Amino acid sequence: MATASGTIAPDKILSDMADLWVTLGKQGDGDAGVLRACSMTLIVAAEESDDPQAIGETLAALMPEHPSRAIVIRFRAGDQRSLEARVFSQCWMPFGQRRQICCEQIEITASDASLPDLPPVVLPLTVPDLPVILWCRSPRLFHLPAFSELAAIAQKVVLDSAAFGDAAAALGDMSGTVASGRSIADLSWTRLTRWRELIAQIFENRAQLAKLPMVSDILIAYRAASTPATAFYLAAWLIDGLEKIGAHARVEFRSDTGEQSGRLSLVQLSAEGSLDAIASIALADGPAAEVKTGGLVSKALLPALTDCTLMREELAIPGRDPSFERALAAAARLALS
Amino acid sequence: MSLENPFQDPLRFERRVPECAMVIFGANGDLTKRKLLPALYRLAYERRLDAGFAVLGISRTAMSDDEFREKMLASVKEFLEDSPFDADLWAAFAQGIFYMSGNFDDAALYPALDARLKEIEAARHTGGNVLFYLSAQPSQYIPIAQGLAKGSVGKGGSGWRRIVIEKPFGHDLASAQTLSTELHSAFEESEVYRIDHYLGKETVQNILALRFGNGIFEPLWNRRYVNHVQITAAESIGVEGRGSYYQEAGALRDMIQNHLSQVMATIAMEPSATFRPDSVRDERSKLLRSIRVMKPDEVLQNTVSGQYGPAHIGGEDVPGFRQEQGVKPDAQTDTYAAVTFFVDNWRWAGVPFYLRSGKRLPKRVSEIAVQFNSAPLAIFNGDETITAPNLMILRIQPEEGISLKFLSKRPGSGMTLRPVSMDFNYGSSFGERSPSAYETLLLDAIIGDATLYTRQDMVEASWKVVDAVQHVWDDTKFEFPNYAAGTWGPKAADEMLARRGHVWRQP
Repeated sequence: MATASGTIAPDKILSDMADLWVTLGKQGDGDAGVLRACSMTLIVAAEESDDPQAIGETLAALMPEHPSRAIVIRFRAGDQRSLEARVFSQCWMPFGQRRQICCEQIEITASDASLPDLPPVVLPLTVPDLPVILWCRSPRLFHLPAFSELAAIAQKVVLDSAAFGDAAAALGDMSGTVASGRSIADLSWTRLTRWRELIAQIFENRAQLAKLPMVSDILIAYRAASTPATAFYLAAWLIDGLEKIGAHARVEFRSDTGEQSGRLSLVQLSAEGSLDAIASIALADGPAAEVKTGGLVSKALLPALTDCTLMREELAIPGRDPSFERALAAAARLALS
Repeated sequence: MSLENPFQDPLRFERRVPECAMVIFGANGDLTKRKLLPALYRLAYERRLDAGFAVLGISRTAMSDDEFREKMLASVKEFLEDSPFDADLWAAFAQGIFYMSGNFDDAALYPALDARLKEIEAARHTGGNVLFYLSAQPSQYIPIAQGLAKGSVGKGGSGWRRIVIEKPFGHDLASAQTLSTELHSAFEESEVYRIDHYLGKETVQNILALRFGNGIFEPLWNRRYVNHVQITAAESIGVEGRGSYYQEAGALRDMIQNHLSQVMATIAMEPSATFRPDSVRDERSKLLRSIRVMKPDEVLQNTVSGQYGPAHIGGEDVPGFRQEQGVKPDAQTDTYAAVTFFVDNWRWAGVPFYLRSGKRLPKRVSEIAVQFNSAPLAIFNGDETITAPNLMILRIQPEEGISLKFLSKRPGSGMTLRPVSMDFNYGSSFGERSPSAYETLLLDAIIGDATLYTRQDMVEASWKVVDAVQHVWDDTKFEFPNYAAGTWGPKAADEMLARRGHVWRQP
């Protein structure tokens, strides 16, 4: 473990990491040693107030599936330029194996004022030839003027519009970023994957698919006071899908009473003048959703997803996601209309 | 023009799964309880099945739908691996589980089955798609095929019909051809899915990814660089109450004719032009047809038959095969088989492929070891490891993964080399739970992807190779038992490799 104060020399961090591996190797059990694993560089930009333990636990849980060099940058407000760094490792012992598997973690503490100093520090710390993903956990940081230079290091920037407060503004900002050529991901879209997959699966059934062109109304309900980004995304994605087969549907958003978890609670596709919905997915309390389709009622699990689950999915897609980008543009138009 | 589902997102969603009903013949058997229902529940848990997916179990025992559901509930709870059980989800899934009793030889069963399927189709919107799964005794395969062939039940109207059968696919070439003829009386070959659960294992699938998804291995994958290949499927257990079945089968028929031949075909096949099922299967089939069929006088030089005797392992007396329940005291069954195959094509000419499988070996392990030629010149004098060959180990079970062994300089002033291992472990490198082989293969059958299933020409090709060995073994009286339980098989197996300057790897 090493600490520098005031400034950071990337060479020093790299040398500290090399020492770390020597130490880990010596700690290994006889010949078993440790196995270094790395599939990407994951940069995490967080506020100083962001729970460090929660970030650490999330990264630890991500590492077995996406072994990475993690660079966690914790920002604190301030005009004085200051940077500090330390390196350490995350190791785990796979079940039934003698050998530990370890990943590197670099933690940098920076003031807002030193944000422009960061890209030249972070760039040499990224692992050559592997993707770089930047996970920005704070909307404030995303809006800092110098943030775009840090973002330019990464192939993809992961955001969570749910943290932005105003969903319409967030979708507008993100849509503008994508239009400028940058690749981004939004965890609000990732939260929808299981819902969307369930809807897609319903219409794999030919009898149900035949009814799809009749859909004229979409109802999306949520447990929040204002329409969340997930609802806009889902509406945009459904409208886009229906338009592909020549159907045009109206969308109604509904805010449900009860616990304001921000989650979706219902999506319903109906035909004009029909009492029964063509398909509906309703989430009551608990993880099991009720799926009604063609007179059948079944259950599907739609548990609330943790940051770790969401990031696991996003890290599996290091490149651009055309479906998301299309949905983002449409959701922004819908939200801002 | 047919309507396309506009909501698919291949980047994030799993493969498309059509609506269907699955009919399980032998629904009261072990396979249904231990493997099939837990795999289906798990697929439902992962939201991989259509909402109306239905299972219709058939066996001789009289039971109501509810009694069958209760039984399956207990099985799923007992045999579900790596997944929590969700009562709500089960309750909904169980609504699609049905049962009917009947004798598979009884012609009246099939019209009744047809009627029941029509009811289920109406209630569950299964679209006329039916997957028949033969989880019955192999002797029942032909009566079931004949029953399905006679009425309309085996013929799809608006939907498809497919049939999945478990090994053994016959007990020799002639019986495999007879079985195939009977199956073809009701189903096209493209509708017959011969399941080999080894091919559903992640590592076996990963062989294709490793070979054809990377540029660095394929140039080495031939007779110029590969010295020999060892394929091992070892079991530490004995016949576990299946003595009477096993003494008619033996390791050669039970393992080498199907699982290990298929693994060998996957390791040695040529790249297919596309990853379409028939392209991949064509290449597997071509490889199996290229395995040299031994002449009778070559068999005993290139094969070893073994049978375990009693032993004392870990403070416990372990019976020999002939002492197992249901086994004849003079049984000539091979509980161990090792063979040396050669592939007569340009890529592999002269490279031995050693296949071995046995019961009561020291541990349960299945792996493929590709041994490369040693460096042509030993320039690092004074180190006994300098000639240690590079090895690529593909572990199928347990702990699926890939290891590459190579030499590295030992740190220090001298030039001393030591072998090191670079490991890729499925469980740790991708923390996601790997689907079980049955989940993969059942989903493939429902989707209509036969890539990992065995085709009749492949079955016949491997029987031709195995029959040549089996005929000689049948005419030979072996001095059994010839290895003690808990050892790596008969000494003759070591000698077989030693004749070519090779040794078995100890997994």
